Amino acid sequence: MEYPRGAFKDRPREAGKEGPHRATRAGQAVSDGRRIMTADEVRRATVRIAHEIVEKQAGTEGLALVGIQRRGVPLARRLADAIAENEGVRLPAGALDITFYRDDLSLVAHQPVVKGTDLPFDLNGLTVVVVDDVLYTGRTIRAAMDALMDFGRPRAIRLAVLVDRGHRELPIRADHVGKNVPTSRDEIVKVLVEEIDGEDGVAIERLVAAHL
Amino acid sequence: MSDRDPGAEPIVVGADAPAWRHRHLLDVDVLAADEIDLVMRTADAMKGILARPIAKVPALRGRNVTIIFWEASTRTRVSFEVAAKNLSADVVNIAASTSSVTKGESLVDTIRTVQALGAQMLVMRHGTSGAPYLAAEHFDGHVLNGGDGWHAHPTQALLDLYTMRERLPGGSIAGRKVVILGDILHSRVARSNIWSLTAAGADLWLCGPSTLLRGLDRWGGRAAGFPGHGRFTVTSDVDAALRDADVVMALRIQKERMDSGLLPSLREYTARFGLTLDRLAAAKPDALVMHPGPMNEGVEIDPAVVALDRAVIEDQVTNGVAVRMALLYLLAGVHGAEGAHDAA
Amino acid sequence: MPREPRPSAKTGRRGGALQVGATLADLEISRAWLVDPFAGREGAGEIVVRDGEIAGVTWLTGAAAKGVDASGVIVAPGFLDLHVHLREPGFEDAETVATGLAAAAHGGFTRVCAMANTSPAIDGAAVVGLVRAAAAASGSPVALEIVGAVSAGRAGEKLAALGEMTDAGVVGFSDDGAPVKGPVLLAHALRYAGMLGRPIVEHAEDTALTSGAEANEGLVASVLGLRGWPAAAEEAVVARDLAILADVVRDVPGARLHLTHLSTAGALDLVRRAKAAGLPVTCDVTPHHLALADEWIAGARRWAWEAVDGAGARRDPVGAGAPVARDPWTDAAIVAEPFDPDLRVNPPLRDPADAAAVRAALRDGTADAVATDHAPHTLVDKEVEFGLAANGISGIETALGVLLAAVDAGELTLAAAMAALTSGPAGVLGAWTGRPVAAGLKVGAPADLVLFDRGESWTVTPASLRSKGKNTPLAGRALPGRVLLTVAAGRIAFSDLD
Repeated sequence: MEYPRGAFKDRPREAGKEGPHRATRAGQAVSDGRRIMTADEVRRATVRIAHEIVEKQAGTEGLALVGIQRRGVPLARRLADAIAENEGVRLPAGALDITFYRDDLSLVAHQPVVKGTDLPFDLNGLTVVVVDDVLYTGRTIRAAMDALMDFGRPRAIRLAVLVDRGHRELPIRADHVGKNVPTSRDEIVKVLVEEIDGEDGVAIERLVAAHL
Repeated sequence: MSDRDPGAEPIVVGADAPAWRHRHLLDVDVLAADEIDLVMRTADAMKGILARPIAKVPALRGRNVTIIFWEASTRTRVSFEVAAKNLSADVVNIAASTSSVTKGESLVDTIRTVQALGAQMLVMRHGTSGAPYLAAEHFDGHVLNGGDGWHAHPTQALLDLYTMRERLPGGSIAGRKVVILGDILHSRVARSNIWSLTAAGADLWLCGPSTLLRGLDRWGGRAAGFPGHGRFTVTSDVDAALRDADVVMALRIQKERMDSGLLPSLREYTARFGLTLDRLAAAKPDALVMHPGPMNEGVEIDPAVVALDRAVIEDQVTNGVAVRMALLYLLAGVHGAEGAHDAA
Repeated sequence: MPREPRPSAKTGRRGGALQVGATLADLEISRAWLVDPFAGREGAGEIVVRDGEIAGVTWLTGAAAKGVDASGVIVAPGFLDLHVHLREPGFEDAETVATGLAAAAHGGFTRVCAMANTSPAIDGAAVVGLVRAAAAASGSPVALEIVGAVSAGRAGEKLAALGEMTDAGVVGFSDDGAPVKGPVLLAHALRYAGMLGRPIVEHAEDTALTSGAEANEGLVASVLGLRGWPAAAEEAVVARDLAILADVVRDVPGARLHLTHLSTAGALDLVRRAKAAGLPVTCDVTPHHLALADEWIAGARRWAWEAVDGAGARRDPVGAGAPVARDPWTDAAIVAEPFDPDLRVNPPLRDPADAAAVRAALRDGTADAVATDHAPHTLVDKEVEFGLAANGISGIETALGVLLAAVDAGELTLAAAMAALTSGPAGVLGAWTGRPVAAGLKVGAPADLVLFDRGESWTVTPASLRSKGKNTPLAGRALPGRVLLTVAAGRIAFSDLD
């Protein structure tokens, strides 16, 4: 007699009792990288972008900065600091978590941990400069724009990134770029910021297949 | 530490964050303490979404969440529905009658049918303890238990925990005296709360008439306790239970309990176990009052108690949506067999 | 255990395929371990079968016995099961007489007693004839005994045709599946059946106490939220039945009561005391109640003897040193998903201390036999919510393995385990009918024996079971003791020798 599935298979218990495990980069490991921006270069690029933003928007009126979690957030704050120093005006700065707007739910092994959105100002009618560390496929920015729209109707959205590494998958470009870096897809661009990583800098690392 | 353009490379979860790895949520007994923490923090984010002008995010866009309740319930079903819709899921609601069981329509058959109809996440309530385990065995997606028999009601336990953490000073349950008062025997809410509250370090008391505590003392009296879980106290002495309590949760008393001879009358229950202002005076002055609903005001809980500021019954309802959003979101991120990705 | 070369015994035969139903023309088993509970003897030996009869039994001693022990091939009298459900007529989708007898032979059984809860119930000579015809048509040499219903249609109202069925050869009466309904009917049945020289076989359950019940009342049921099935439901009926028996037997000395599938320490203790008081009562216990416990429903998968404290208390099932059940959560013994419907059985799996009492009752003779309560069910009836699943375990093919596991654990001696499957139930059946039913390994008697390799394990899978009922919680588990040959009344019932 043919016996339907399920009836006789071992039923291993949900392995919930052995305590937590830590997520790792699935199937991949990172080799040692090569530094492409020093701390000083990061600082100079930030200052230059701050000037560009004010120049391009002809002043600071109606401007706001929104950093994408996580490393976009300290970068946005630094831009706000630099603009305050140059122009004497403190732009509103916020943090945006795009976790719930990602389009790759089916590609990730686990849901990313939510880090939180903090937009302590009304977006309506403002020109919002979205700040992130690296621009790559453009999907993060797409998600960020969707998320922003749920908070209000900005007059315009601009984009500032520290590194543009190419390989766009969507028709998105940055208005302000710290450094254009040609990369291949099997490389990772690592941005370090002092507030999170204890130092500033940018490195390129090569992905290697994990021996697992 | 990397660019994280989605779709391009795997997500790196912070080294301090536990990853969620349960494909189904059938009970809270399988959740480790840091996994419960993750649910709580994710629910925080969901509450943030609920506070927005547009309380909706596209996280589950295109996902089919099918809600099947074999037992009548409005509040839990609607809570799940709102939660799923806030995450932009497509919601299919099925009111399955228990009579389909007697007609020979098997649970397994129903599960296979809704799967063929495109269900990817299944929220189910069933009158038979353990039914979601059978469903999970035959369903390729995710099963979320919305209550099974007397056995478990994990989302209720987690929303209760969330509400306590939110409202207790210091946000910690450890060492707090939590009293669950009423019909413990028939309560899946109590059973799931036993796991989550003892895991959180609460000083848990279960109180009710002896007929409605049957068998619970054998569980509570475990000397060593279950792994990671402390003991709890089982008593019919309502004054001892309420003395210096930090949280008092009353459970619904159903009329059927008298028909089956477990209680002489509702009047007698109210007189001896009803949560009144007088009785509550024995608890701490700021003790929280909770109730999983639906309430029989005037029976297990006095309307004057419900009216107190520290009665957080409506918070439980609101938090229920946030916690269910969090669970739907977390479950949706786990693919295939449990832990299959761990091979990496 | 020395396993090479397998086995220590050698079998030899001349010509003739080992075809089921054929007379075993010629078989010599040399250097095997013979166990004959009828003679109270076990040891190295040789056995010869010619033309279906045992032609020679030689017990080896000294140098000749060297190297032969109880870890290899064992020869024992064919097993006798006092309690099986063959489902025919009426539920042939779950089992037929033919598949049930094939399953019995695969389990080493050469004689089984089929219960009456078929549809229609076996409550008259006509249905008895139907079942006998099915057995004859199956070609199986396994002897089929029939237990008729106590009440007409098993409805619990009036007596079935007890006399007519006795004339048709039934060995006893039972409304199994349910208890004899009510004390009045039981008293009448005991008197009337006693007059006929037949026992009442009682399924002891107070159905008012078990209404809606799902699992043994205790820690596991409390944790899992399953409706409790109290031990009192069994014990109250046992106590009542014994009181009625004591009353009836004063007038009708031939009245006999057999309590089947007893599962609680309290019920067995009542029988222990009744036997000491000289009441004509016997009882059997099942493999699952002695080896499994309710914690399996929570997802534990250890033997019941691994779930008790107080190993030294084995000889004292009820005293101060009685075994104490451990809980699977504290022991981190939960290894499978909970609520496997294949664990739903009536009476329910009890707690490990009750299982220890069941084993103790086998050791001290309170329990006369192991009976499987083989209860095959279809997938449709079993692959459902735990509380809605049909009660019963398909167990006739796993009984030997379960008992051998208990022997391996030191819970039973091999002799006691074999006696529980052979001389024990034969004694009961003999007392029921007043005629002996088996002779053991006796020269000149028709060969009725089982040959199994204790050193070889087999894995329980749907395909490995001859029964149509695949409802066993032991699925996927390896059991010791593979049956190689079953011979019933000189004919081959099962063979895995070639």
